[in-house]
Amino acid sequence: MSIDVELQQAAVKYKNKQKVKDRFISALIGVFAIIWIFPIAWTIWTSLRPYKDVRANGVFSMPKTLNLDNYTQAISRMDLPLYFWNTAAITIPAVFLTLFFGSLIAFVVSRYSFRWNVSLLLLFTAGNLLPAQLVFIPVFKMYVTLGKAIGIPRVLYDSHWGVVLIHVAFQMGFATFVLSSYMKTVPKEISESAMVDGASVFVHYSKVMLPLLRPALASLGVLMTTWIYNDFFWALVLMSTDSKRPITSALGRLQGEFVTDYNLLAAGATIAALPTLIVFFLLRKQFVSGLTLGSTKG
Amino acid sequence: MMSDLNNGISRRSVLKGAAVGGIGLAAGGSLLAGCGDKATGPLAYGARSVDAGPTAQNEALIAAYTAKTKNEVKYNATESNAFQNNLSQYLQGTPDDTFEWMAGYRMQFFAEQGLLADLTGVWDAIGDQYTESYKIASTGLDGKQYFVPKSWYPWGLHFRKSMFADLGLNADNVTNWDEYLKMLDGMKKKGLVGFAAGDKGGWEAMGTFDILNARINGYQFHVDLLAGREKWTDAKVTEVFTYWSQLIPYMNPNVLDLEWDGAMQLLLQKKAGSMLMGSWFGGNFKEQSEADYADLSIIPFPEINPEHGRDTIDAPIDGWCVAANGTNNDGGADFLKFAGDMEGVNATLAAKDANGALIPMTSANSGQDTASYDPFQKEQLAVMAEAKYITQFLDRDTRPDFAGPVVGPAIQSWFKNPKDVAKIQDTLQSQWEALPPLA
Amino acid sequence: MSSTAKDITTVSRRRAFSKTDRTTLSAFVGVPLFFHLLLVWVPALLTILLSFTYWSGISISRIKWAGLANYKNIFFDTPAFWEAVKNNIIWLGWFGLIATPIGILLAYQIDRQIRGHKFYETAYYLPVVLSLAVTGIIWNFLLRPDGFVNGLFGRDIDNAISFFGNYDINIYVILTIASWRHIGYIMLLYLAGLKSVDLSLREASALDGATEWQTFKKVVFPSMKPVNIIVIVITIIESLRAFDIVYIIYGSSAGFPILGTLVFQNIAGEGASMKGAAYAVILFVLSIGPIIAYLRATFKSDVQ
Repeated sequence: MSIDVELQQAAVKYKNKQKVKDRFISALIGVFAIIWIFPIAWTIWTSLRPYKDVRANGVFSMPKTLNLDNYTQAISRMDLPLYFWNTAAITIPAVFLTLFFGSLIAFVVSRYSFRWNVSLLLLFTAGNLLPAQLVFIPVFKMYVTLGKAIGIPRVLYDSHWGVVLIHVAFQMGFATFVLSSYMKTVPKEISESAMVDGASVFVHYSKVMLPLLRPALASLGVLMTTWIYNDFFWALVLMSTDSKRPITSALGRLQGEFVTDYNLLAAGATIAALPTLIVFFLLRKQFVSGLTLGSTKG
Repeated sequence: MMSDLNNGISRRSVLKGAAVGGIGLAAGGSLLAGCGDKATGPLAYGARSVDAGPTAQNEALIAAYTAKTKNEVKYNATESNAFQNNLSQYLQGTPDDTFEWMAGYRMQFFAEQGLLADLTGVWDAIGDQYTESYKIASTGLDGKQYFVPKSWYPWGLHFRKSMFADLGLNADNVTNWDEYLKMLDGMKKKGLVGFAAGDKGGWEAMGTFDILNARINGYQFHVDLLAGREKWTDAKVTEVFTYWSQLIPYMNPNVLDLEWDGAMQLLLQKKAGSMLMGSWFGGNFKEQSEADYADLSIIPFPEINPEHGRDTIDAPIDGWCVAANGTNNDGGADFLKFAGDMEGVNATLAAKDANGALIPMTSANSGQDTASYDPFQKEQLAVMAEAKYITQFLDRDTRPDFAGPVVGPAIQSWFKNPKDVAKIQDTLQSQWEALPPLA
Repeated sequence: MSSTAKDITTVSRRRAFSKTDRTTLSAFVGVPLFFHLLLVWVPALLTILLSFTYWSGISISRIKWAGLANYKNIFFDTPAFWEAVKNNIIWLGWFGLIATPIGILLAYQIDRQIRGHKFYETAYYLPVVLSLAVTGIIWNFLLRPDGFVNGLFGRDIDNAISFFGNYDINIYVILTIASWRHIGYIMLLYLAGLKSVDLSLREASALDGATEWQTFKKVVFPSMKPVNIIVIVITIIESLRAFDIVYIIYGSSAGFPILGTLVFQNIAGEGASMKGAAYAVILFVLSIGPIIAYLRATFKSDVQ
């Protein structure tokens, strides 16, 4: 009996020690979390202060006014609606096509057994990991040559579709991999009964599997949207007309144009970051589960 | 094999038509023969700056052109660095019909690759408004013209008249190296940065190298060095760095953290006493305030070697080209006939900045009445007129795959370790020799 | 009857696919495969080929065979290359020994649901959601000569601490900014993986009197082998591929050379040459090892 009591006491003491450690750890992580978001907070703070106020009184002065002037100015002077439209014109088709193509391959590879299934998966996944600079010159030349050949120079180069296609080609691998892992968790009986019922491959895909994929597609869609939205390299090198570029590539230009007006620039940067931030806050669950599907199997 | 670089331009007096006396075509400009006879259709204009001043100028120019010819012009502006990085792709893919560019080998290179349209027709129409040296600067390696000049600016020593007055300095007394160092000393004692410098972009300090090399070793050596006829390991080059290191104590400590506009800020905020830079930033001073602009002054970089005096200067020429792959080459050429003519120049000169003031521009066209120059522009003119030889700037005068990737970082690493001169010289020479043949 | 994969196999092998089915399957695989090959693998092979030529990237008719000249140039005549390699190695060391472990430990603590874990999860992950262009602007505000940090120290533009220009410290500044993002990313990846660790294992270990640290070291960490491999591979690949942050801060100037910017500097702009292709190939070759390790770890069960 007394041994039990001793054990219990030891367990309690251990738990208390751990609790103290935990409080310390939590505090430490907490302090760093504040430091972590400080840069973002400082930028938002900068965006709320009028430029004249800062110029007159210095960066650390207590603000005389805080307003959204910089934001209204940013929207009007930086052509932001145009750049956001470009972003949408690139991101939405790219995400849609990536999910679509990814689901096709994932479907074939996970519901049917062909000899080259694994090779396909390997090919796509490896392709996703290649450095973008490795393919840039030939892709550019292909786009331009095609344009010359069919008489429409802007068919792919300096066109939203050109950027969409390169995103799709690269991100397909990740989508395929994630969706095929997910599809493996769908019970075989479903496919089995569909085939017994005489369903064609197409019906198998569209009416049976696709509806079941919705959660995975949602999560993956959230991830892909964020990644493609945030890219700035491809739009930079595959487009020559600045007014067609998405908001992220345009930020470089805005930084050059408004180099001394930090407050205006801060507002512009905040607006540019808003979509992904909003998506993140509202759809955090999907975000995390998208990564879950991608990093572990089943 | 290395193609023969037509580096630099030697001319007795650059602005024979525009300097002292303001001869040539006065107000009015020449009549454009046949302009507007055929509608050349809509065209696209590619600008390589998004700054307020140049944009206002372009808008004024395009408005005047459209009013005259009823041709639609689409305006496409890109930030300067992005434009330069993208130029090769831009010209191959979907270039605008006419676009802003620079004279020198930078232009000749693209002409030689077949990416620029032949502008001999434009020069036939307006060539008489430019001096011979501008025509030479606009000529490609094959003898045809591919460029229409717009404006020029000198690289010189800039300072603020008010600061000189406060320090009891007289700009006329800063004509040679010793006097300059004495001046810098005085500034340092007063807590100022004597020689504002920023080299974060990798190209800014090339101006200092150019002028020191020209002052110490002369124009011919400088041109030969950039063309590969002299060696970077030569003791003459070592001398350049020796003199340069004498300036280091008077520079701001964070040279590699500032770009050109950071150095300019030092001058603007009266924290620095002098700055070697191209005069283009005058517009930025003017945007700040008229008083600041009026305070700005320029003198030639001091003499170092009496044998060469102050006979050489970097004076890059900016202008336009027509892209061979554009959809409307004729339209582009037609536009340049207007832009390069006094009519276009006058329209550009009438542009106003955000404060409603006129934007200063030193036109390459002999027709611009130099009597109408403001004091700062007159000083720039004087600096230019004194020089016998004009160069375009290191990154416009030598191979682009040498200037940016090799010389830029080499100078930056010298700033990091000024004692490493020998090693840097060796690297420069070996990398020059290792350059692949141009293809 | 209970179906297994084998049953499906035998079922599908027994019945031949109808013509429509075959067309559908071919299209399902063929179309995506076409785009993927055409825009990723074919260009990759072409770039590898181009690295053995002299070319300015403009006229195809002017391509000249160069053999190994570009590579010789890079290895023997370009000190910037070795500087870049050094920087990438430092990057790798920092990420591997500091950033990634912090991310892992953070994930572990948050998974344990210490107080405030929901807030922490959001806070640390926030930087990952931002575009690198925005990140560059944010940090520029802080570290510019006339920015926040210099202002804190009472310095102004003429005597500012040179965060980006002082080559003794700037690599650590860049790495801090990169870690700001990397740590959150690793944290979330690891968090996701931790959810699959058997809770009872951890409870058993706690009952045995092990401290949390011992539990992590001896029980949790070893059981996360697949995730560990993925995290390691991502760390390596991100260190090699690093480009965006440096480009945002330094533009295309070669002031801070890493492999990624060397590629860009030599294939974009007027000084383009196939040296850029050679750099890209070197980058690729260095990435092959990690890529294969990743593929092995992820597809091990499939290959059996």
